[in-house]
Amino acid sequence: MSLPEINTKIQETAKRLLKEGKAEVVIGYRQGTAPMTVAPHFARTEDDCNQLVWSNFAKINLATYLPKFPGKVALIAKGCDARSAVGQVVESQIARENLYIVGVACNGMVDVELIQAKEPRPVFTAEEDMATIKLSGEGWSTSLTKDDVLRRACKTCVCRTPKDIADELIGAETPALSPDDYADLKALAAKSPEEKMAYFKGLVKDCLRCYACRNACPLCYCPVCFVDETRPQWLGKSQDEMDTFTFHILRAFHCSGRCTSCGSCEAVCPMDIKLREFNRILEEEVQRDWQYVPGLNWEQKPPLTTYRPDDEAEFIK
Amino acid sequence: MGKEDRNIMHNPYLPYPVRISDLRIETEDKNLRTFKFEFLNPGDEEKFAYLPGQFAELSVPGQGEIPIGIASSPTEKGYVMFTVNRVGQVSSYMHNMKVGDVMGIRGPLGHPYPLEKLEGKNILIIAGGFAVTTLRSTIVWMLQPENRSKYGNIDFVYGARMPGLLCFKDDWTEWQKRSDINVHVTIDREAPGWTGKVGFVPTVTKEVCPPPANTAAIICGPPVMIKFTQPVLEEAGYSHDDIIMSLENRMKCGLGICGRCNVGPEYVCKDGPVFTLTQLNQLPKEY
Amino acid sequence: MAEYIVKENALRNFFQALTEGGQRTLLAPAKVGDKLQMVECEADKITLDFANTHQSPKSAFFPQTQKLMAFHKDTSKSDPFVYKPLGLDNMKPTVLFGIRPCDAKGLVVADKVFQNNRFTDPYWKTAYESSIKIGLACTAPGPNCFCTGVGGSPFSETGLDALAYVKDGGLAIKAITADAEEFLKGLSGVEAAEVAGEMAELKKAVEAKMPGPIDMAKVASGEILDIFNQPHWKDTADRCLNCGTCTFVCPTCHCFDIQDEQNEKGGVRMRNWDTCMSWIYTVHGTGHNPRPTKTERMRQRFMHKLKYIPMKQDGDCGCIGCGRCVTLCPVNIDIREVAKQMNG
Repeated sequence: MSLPEINTKIQETAKRLLKEGKAEVVIGYRQGTAPMTVAPHFARTEDDCNQLVWSNFAKINLATYLPKFPGKVALIAKGCDARSAVGQVVESQIARENLYIVGVACNGMVDVELIQAKEPRPVFTAEEDMATIKLSGEGWSTSLTKDDVLRRACKTCVCRTPKDIADELIGAETPALSPDDYADLKALAAKSPEEKMAYFKGLVKDCLRCYACRNACPLCYCPVCFVDETRPQWLGKSQDEMDTFTFHILRAFHCSGRCTSCGSCEAVCPMDIKLREFNRILEEEVQRDWQYVPGLNWEQKPPLTTYRPDDEAEFIK
Repeated sequence: MGKEDRNIMHNPYLPYPVRISDLRIETEDKNLRTFKFEFLNPGDEEKFAYLPGQFAELSVPGQGEIPIGIASSPTEKGYVMFTVNRVGQVSSYMHNMKVGDVMGIRGPLGHPYPLEKLEGKNILIIAGGFAVTTLRSTIVWMLQPENRSKYGNIDFVYGARMPGLLCFKDDWTEWQKRSDINVHVTIDREAPGWTGKVGFVPTVTKEVCPPPANTAAIICGPPVMIKFTQPVLEEAGYSHDDIIMSLENRMKCGLGICGRCNVGPEYVCKDGPVFTLTQLNQLPKEY
Repeated sequence: MAEYIVKENALRNFFQALTEGGQRTLLAPAKVGDKLQMVECEADKITLDFANTHQSPKSAFFPQTQKLMAFHKDTSKSDPFVYKPLGLDNMKPTVLFGIRPCDAKGLVVADKVFQNNRFTDPYWKTAYESSIKIGLACTAPGPNCFCTGVGGSPFSETGLDALAYVKDGGLAIKAITADAEEFLKGLSGVEAAEVAGEMAELKKAVEAKMPGPIDMAKVASGEILDIFNQPHWKDTADRCLNCGTCTFVCPTCHCFDIQDEQNEKGGVRMRNWDTCMSWIYTVHGTGHNPRPTKTERMRQRFMHKLKYIPMKQDGDCGCIGCGRCVTLCPVNIDIREVAKQMNG
């Protein structure tokens, strides 16, 4: 399906769902006000629905808006958004009957940082279709192949077409990709503790502690995040290296076995920190130890939130 | 550009070092303690020249700071006094400090009550619970012989949930004996041994409030008390210019710089904490 | 005021000379990783070809983490548990080269907060007033630049000691303050020239390419509460993540938190950038929060920039149009759009 066709389909679907009372609001995207941006869009009326679009520039995972969302909501969902929504239902953050997933067959989102690395000139307009990104600025224009500027997370997506978890699907099934082989992690694992520490500290050295990663994350719905606790205050608030590092490590552990690799954290980070490195390491371990991939079914709880008295693992005893 | 002599610039972040010279448990629930501080360095007491209604940051090295209204009156020399409610990290820590311990105070901050503007008026002072601190300062100041003649009648309505939660008992029992202030102390419900008034502050205010002509009211108390007292005064005919309140908001710097205490364009720390109801009516209720 | 040029082949010497033999720290636009930032850098790392630095230059005078004072616990020494100020006596002055006019104007907005009608922040004042700020006018503004929308100009001189533009690979410079004239005239590579005429023409030409003024007349004349209670806030806040990216990259956002940290020997009091997007920013000790949801928090930021600051700063807008928040907001909350909504 072409982008305009998908847009028409999304708009029609949204209108129908509102009309049928399956949703009071449809959460999707609308065109942004600046080049290479889109805005999350909350459609409540037919006019609102006419603004819904699909775009390669979507940054955040729309499931982020779901926890505690009042009323019936329909989500225009990429595979990762749909998986996160499933995870939230499993974790009792939203009632299944209040959620309607409109899956869209997705072939990935682009990484604006990567685009700017390839094309450093200021971009004044960006046009897109499902395979190419056309950029232009003052006195120039160029065309990039979308696959060359794909988000890292999208290159190993295991759910490009959320057909099994969506309530309905827009678009034909996207060819599957081979999943992350975590090859680079094996090299990292072979390094000395000092080298690993240096690597991780290097990853987060530019962190501003703005917590955009946390706020954009569909898993981070805690009413009070541990970094915001004051009694006791677990963490200093300065740019102290260990405090910053502790934030990222603890957040990663808290998300382990729950992260759907949407890459939202990296996309929103104003300093373009490769935040998913932390998550990938734990993701790999959870897959290896429990053969669990989050967000693919409505019943199974994440292994690290599950307790069984007869658990075989030694560490639990 | 332009170079200043950096050493002589006053540093408003730097607390004056003080020693706890006296402390007492103020209420029977032990949540309130009153601290007296004496300045370690000669001359600092003079630099810390304040008026009733102002506050200071109590500064515990290694713990942090809390903004607290000054409970003593500038007419009480040799110390400054604060009553601290145990709510957060710093106040809890302070509740375990002893006489002789060194800490800091930073201020005075904020604006005082408009004492000059109030000259020639009758004064109605309404306080609830722990919020009486800066009003104690005001009353002590107004009752000084050199100040008392500047004001007409003074009425003081003060309430708490129960007798043991009333602060500054020694002060108001002393004032009850005087003829130049009418003291109306009340508790919410009957309690054994209590012979004074019983009833909520708004109700007592309605009973005792002087006619609005040439009278100004100063109110300090918990939000619920203010919510129900304000209409009593409005019904009694008090103009919004004559209803004066002191706000609280989360603060850090106390200097109108760190940002968090703003109510509309005004910083509670720097432009307040004292506002008239006329002013507050034009501002968002973000406090 | 005097005008100068620095030829392309003299740039390196000129940049080196800006430190006055190491007496000043030179901050200039240079790559840090793949981001262009205003940083302490070597003369040959400075770039002249950019739209703007990734982050604003405010950290030159207001670092994200700044130690304000320290104390010790050694009772055998004098003054245990007494805080002593840090960093004021030995603060090395800076020279900022290549600051964009919008950012220089932003620092003026912040300066009026740090040096307000009652108090002076000595840490800011010492750093800000001892610095020399040589602006670099924009001849190729970026896609999200709108200084001209909020009373600025790509050639604005506000808050600058001198303004330069790129001329034939080198620089043309106009001194704005007498101090800057004194500073510049003896520097290596600097030659007297006449550039003001060309500068004025360039200014006109670049301004013509940029957005027109954003109409905020009704925001200026309207009552606070009328704007505060407008219905659009809730709709915009729907998508706000309260992430604080906008506040961290904004040159006029000045809010901070004060924190103490200690060990067995002593401790420090420091300030750290804070953000009004965070719920803990305003929460009282009692748990009461005057801004309980993201709607109030997001509204606060725009009311502050577009209504409260103009009220307190003679009508000058608290947004200087650098466009960083527009570029970096993960959910495309665009201050230009919000300004339009506020203006009705």
